[in-house]
Amino acid sequence: MVKESVRVKLLYHTDLEALKRALAAKGVPFDSEAMLDHVVYMFEIEDCSRVTTHQLVRHRVASYDQESQRFSAATKEGFVIPPSVQSNQAALAAFDEALKSVYAAYEKMTTAGVPKEDARYILPGGIKTKLVMTLSARSLMHMVWQRTALQAQWEIRELAEKLHGLAKEVTPELWTKIIER
Amino acid sequence: MRRCYSTKPIEDIETELEQKGPEYWKFLLTKALQDKSLDVLEHYTMTLVIEGAKEAQVSVLARSHPYLRATWLKGEDWLISLNARTLVELWNDKGAKLFAESVVAELDRKEVGRLFNSVAFGERIRAS
Repeated sequence: MVKESVRVKLLYHTDLEALKRALAAKGVPFDSEAMLDHVVYMFEIEDCSRVTTHQLVRHRVASYDQESQRFSAATKEGFVIPPSVQSNQAALAAFDEALKSVYAAYEKMTTAGVPKEDARYILPGGIKTKLVMTLSARSLMHMVWQRTALQAQWEIRELAEKLHGLAKEVTPELWTKIIER
Repeated sequence: MRRCYSTKPIEDIETELEQKGPEYWKFLLTKALQDKSLDVLEHYTMTLVIEGAKEAQVSVLARSHPYLRATWLKGEDWLISLNARTLVELWNDKGAKLFAESVVAELDRKEVGRLFNSVAFGERIRAS
C-alpha cells in the first residue's frame, strides 16, 4: 500500500467575465469582495480519507454529495496511510495488520448477509472516499484560510492547497489576497 | 449528478449520463424531486440581475432561504445567486412564488436548464 495524494478536479465555476458584463450593463463597477458571494466552484474530490471529509463538512456553507458506504462496497486497496505511519516500519506493520483484520471481518459479515450499511460500522476512518462539493468563493476563502494554516492536519492542508490553486487559476482576481474572517 | 450511489470516477459518470441521454436525466431529476432528495440540486447554481425589487422584499427572501445570496447594485436592482434547490423551495413558498416564477421565466427565455425547468416546474407556455 502506497500513500496517494488526494485528487481534486474543478467541475464548474461561475463565469466571472459574464458577471462583469452584467454589472457593466448596469453601470455598476466590479467589486471583487462583493462578488465572493456570487462566484461558485464545484469540485470533485477523490482519494481523500473519511477522516478528512469529516473535517471538511464542518465548513457548513457548502453543498456536499459523498459516496455512500451504505451502497458501495469497501475495498482493501482504498486507504489513506498517514506519512507518520508510512515512514515508521513498526507502525506500518501494525496499521497493515489491523486493516487486514478489519477487512476480513467486513467480508465475513457481508458474505453472511449483513447489509453493507451495517457492515461498514467496522470500517476505519482512513478509508478513501469521493465527493462533489459546491461552495461560494467566500466559503472557499474561509476554508483555505483555516485549513492551510500550519495547525491544520496534513491531509486537509493538502486538499485546501489544491482547492485554492484551482480556484486561483480560473478566477485570479478574487484571490489576490485571502480575506481573513 | 448523484455521487453517493456510485464508486465510479466522475468521468465515467459523465460519460454514462451522456450516453443514456435526456430521458434518463429526466428520470433522475423526477426521482430526486419525488423523493425530496433536493440536496443533489444544490450543485446547480445560477446568478441573475433582478430589477424592481425593494430591500424589504429581498431581505425576506434572503432570511427565509439561506442559500440565496443578494448584493445591492443600485436603485431597485440586485445581483442574486441561488441554487436549484432554493429555486424549488421558492416555487413552493407562497410568499416567494411570484419571484420564483419570474426567475423560471427568465431561465426559459434564455433557454437555460430547459429540461430541469420542465421537470421541476411543469410544462409552461414560454413567456413571449
